[in-house]
Amino acid sequence: MTAARRWHDVGSEGELRTEGRLVARIDGREVGVLLDERGAAHAFRNRCPHHGAPLCEGVLRPRLAGTPGSYRLEGGAVLHCPWHGWQFELGSGRCPEDARMRVAVYEARVKDGRVLVRA
Amino acid sequence: MIDCDVHVQIGDREDFLAFVDPAQREWFRLQEPLLGLPGYTWQHPTGFMRADLDAGDGGLPGTSAELVRRELLDPYGVDLALLTADDGISVSLMASPYRAAELARAHNDWMAARWLDADPRFRGTIIVPAQDPLAAAAEIHRAATDPRFAAVLLCGGSERPYGEPRYLPLFEAAAEHDLPVAIHSGAEGLGISSTSGGTGLPAFYLEWHTLGSACSIMAHLVSLVCHGTFERVPGLRVLLLEGGLAWLPGILWRLDTNWRGLKAEAPWLERRPSEVIREHIAFTTQPLEHTDGHDDLLFEMLAAAGAPEILCFASDYPHWDFDDPARMLQRLPEHWRETVMGATAERLFGPRLGAGAV
Repeated sequence: MTAARRWHDVGSEGELRTEGRLVARIDGREVGVLLDERGAAHAFRNRCPHHGAPLCEGVLRPRLAGTPGSYRLEGGAVLHCPWHGWQFELGSGRCPEDARMRVAVYEARVKDGRVLVRA
Repeated sequence: MIDCDVHVQIGDREDFLAFVDPAQREWFRLQEPLLGLPGYTWQHPTGFMRADLDAGDGGLPGTSAELVRRELLDPYGVDLALLTADDGISVSLMASPYRAAELARAHNDWMAARWLDADPRFRGTIIVPAQDPLAAAAEIHRAATDPRFAAVLLCGGSERPYGEPRYLPLFEAAAEHDLPVAIHSGAEGLGISSTSGGTGLPAFYLEWHTLGSACSIMAHLVSLVCHGTFERVPGLRVLLLEGGLAWLPGILWRLDTNWRGLKAEAPWLERRPSEVIREHIAFTTQPLEHTDGHDDLLFEMLAAAGAPEILCFASDYPHWDFDDPARMLQRLPEHWRETVMGATAERLFGPRLGAGAV
């Protein structure tokens, strides 16, 4: 039986905006929060399913698409793992290049100067 | 049985020159060692050709249809033989694209007249001046009207890896005529080509035969995929010849892994590279690595890369490292034999394999 999810206070909005990310421990798991370019918060488990890297030390970048020889912004960003560059979608945690790889994602929001994660 | 790499030799140079435009004939006649083609830096210590074969009138094995019939087709029961230029393959490494275009045209006409007319089991390959891709495409359009040509033949040695967009016209022309493009290792570092592997020309033929030939095939394989060649030309099929095979699973694993991490560089690659390769590319078996008793391991690794459906048998007649078809049959896993000895080639080459057959 899985415990019901509840909101956790993982740090201050000021720290998140200054550092660009926050990492906190929730029920024994490391969870990271990152801000996208529009200022929205996204929370992930801080462990890459590929090789165990601290995923939330990675960078958010626009997802690119294109036809051979040309590039375009696909819309939306992806989190690039800092170790091997694998990409994970913000909403689903899915690695578009490998259906077997998925990182846990959590609802996150900023309220009254605090960063909250539902886990 | 289909043999996908049978090298035919220019034995009688004057007979060949009869196919060259009279306005250029004298120029080619004067070029040494052969027709202005770049020669190898080293020689095989006992000769590039099998010493047991009949040296024809030109002093070389494989110089006439009769020799190939007697020494390969009839004794081994070869049903179809893909004829691959020997020296002529390096036409794309000549400094002059104009001489290269003329030599390629003459070679293709010579192949039709002296070989394809001589035995219904022969299928031709079209050589092209790849240093001038528009001229190469024009030659493909011209030669492809003869349905007995079953592929376009490119040299492993090249100025740039073949995924570069400059080469697209020739790949598009091949696909338009439903011709696979065969890339055969050779001449890396010679003429106007780059050295294979980026470390400079090796000192020994031993080095080249171990690495040079394999590295160019690896480079073209990876380049074609990364540039999205098969997305640009969806009907394109490629055969990679004589680059070895044992490295293949490792390269596919590396490429798939790097694609996951570096896809932002080539975001048009929507599919895993190894999947694209299995769909569009096949490999010839010769020279299948000797494994010192580890054949089971080799075949297990090749299965992980998509074998047997990606493999075509090749003997490399009349070269010294010939793979005997009968021994290859014994060596292959039993359930691979039909696929490797014929079915993969039938699928790859399509209807042109049947053209002119008895």
